[in-house]
Amino acid sequence: MAGLELLSDQGYRIDGRKPDELRRIRCKLGVFTQADGSAYIEQGNTKVLAAIYGPREADQNMRNQICHDKCFLNCEYTQATFSTAERKHRSRGDRKGQDMSTHIKQTFEATIQTSLYPRSQIDIYLQVLQADGSNYCACINAASLALIDAGIAMKDYVCACSASLTKGKPVIDINHVEESSDCAELSVAILPKLDQIVYSELNGRLHANELPDVIDAVVRGCKDLFVVMDRTVREHLEETATTFTHS
Amino acid sequence: MELLNLQPVESYKTFLKENIRPDGRELMETRQTVLNVGSISTADGSALVKLGETMVICGVKAELTIPSAEDPGKGIVVPNMEMSALCSSHFKPGPPSEQAQVITKFLDNLLKSCTVIDTADLCVMKDKLVWVLYCDLICLNYDGNALDASVLALIAALQNVKIPEVTVDDESGLPHTNMEVKKAFATRGMPCATTFTVFDGSHIIADPTLKEEDITEGNITVVTDEHDNLIYVQRQGGLAMPEAEMQKCVKRAVEHGSEMRKLYLAVAS
Repeated sequence: MAGLELLSDQGYRIDGRKPDELRRIRCKLGVFTQADGSAYIEQGNTKVLAAIYGPREADQNMRNQICHDKCFLNCEYTQATFSTAERKHRSRGDRKGQDMSTHIKQTFEATIQTSLYPRSQIDIYLQVLQADGSNYCACINAASLALIDAGIAMKDYVCACSASLTKGKPVIDINHVEESSDCAELSVAILPKLDQIVYSELNGRLHANELPDVIDAVVRGCKDLFVVMDRTVREHLEETATTFTHS
Repeated sequence: MELLNLQPVESYKTFLKENIRPDGRELMETRQTVLNVGSISTADGSALVKLGETMVICGVKAELTIPSAEDPGKGIVVPNMEMSALCSSHFKPGPPSEQAQVITKFLDNLLKSCTVIDTADLCVMKDKLVWVLYCDLICLNYDGNALDASVLALIAALQNVKIPEVTVDDESGLPHTNMEVKKAFATRGMPCATTFTVFDGSHIIADPTLKEEDITEGNITVVTDEHDNLIYVQRQGGLAMPEAEMQKCVKRAVEHGSEMRKLYLAVAS
């Protein structure tokens, strides 16, 4: 996008944010009745729904994946055809979807205490309704909240955030315009309380000297996100607790 | 509650003796419906419907294309319903289930028979350029009666569509899109669907939940428009139904239609 300033001289990005500012986040737990756990997250204009089914008995066609000592995860990532500015019909099992599904599955395999659910299956379904950058991160955050809603044992929350480097300054939580530019894009998922990185992916070129600054910025972004997610979970629990005591 | 899961048919009969259903509704009562339009900004038109707990979202994307040879002056509307494993444990991951395909075909037939949008309005230049509206519906939570919810979502989304004006340059023959001016299409009829199902060959219930769908057989769906005309009636499988019962269904569908049309009008502005 020639002529578009990703970072103005005054230090503001295209959407008016500062480099270390996250987009507006709205999240809600327990949005579906059919799924065992569900969540909806909005990060700016990126809207993602997550539904969790499980732990449950393994599917017929997945019998070969059953483990006697732990559960196996099945993750499906789908992006609605109307989620991007250009309509793109995505067939089931296309490469990008598979790629995302595998990354998300690996992230949660490291977090969920799978040894507590032997011989079962946990399904994570993600539906992107509107994609405006940081799709992977929004999916991880939504799935994390949905797993908490489903009551599945995890080591910690998983919070993910993306970052890029513009004019020497790291900018976090990038939107679609910033993603499509020439800059490098780093996505990181962390366990906030344990301070561990469970997933990181870097697209594009970044000088090795610049990497520590970008990682610091993105980890701070994840921790800010953790505060929002934790608050949402506690509010949701308080609401549910009051309905129990009143009924 | 446990009895409802262990012996669904027997316990349902005890409810029906009192002329009431487990969720407290009367036999011909439909669930509360919530409609929200325009929430997806990347789509040209969108609508989200919550019928009880059944949630369906519809996003419409408009593209330009060359018209078909049979109808050179008409645009195309393509509906597609998706019911994935996300919406209920009834569905397994994989290719679209039979139910999703049936609903897609139903919506396709409905659009053809009802002309909610006059496809001639979608024509930019005869023989050269027409609009095609891709309407993608996704069922997010399936608690029975996705059909009624899909019809409502589709029509409301079409009502919500705003497309930029396209003019064709006479000299070069190239289309010129004016992104500033966006206009909506005139939608007519405001069709509304009501689905009924038959329990035990004797009782007709309107707007079944998922648990009720599992223990009943045979569906009848009646679609009415704003002038109380019958646009589309579909009777699927199951048991035979006497004419008097059909008339009851049609009458209830007309009443339900006028209730739903208030929703369309409320979001139309």
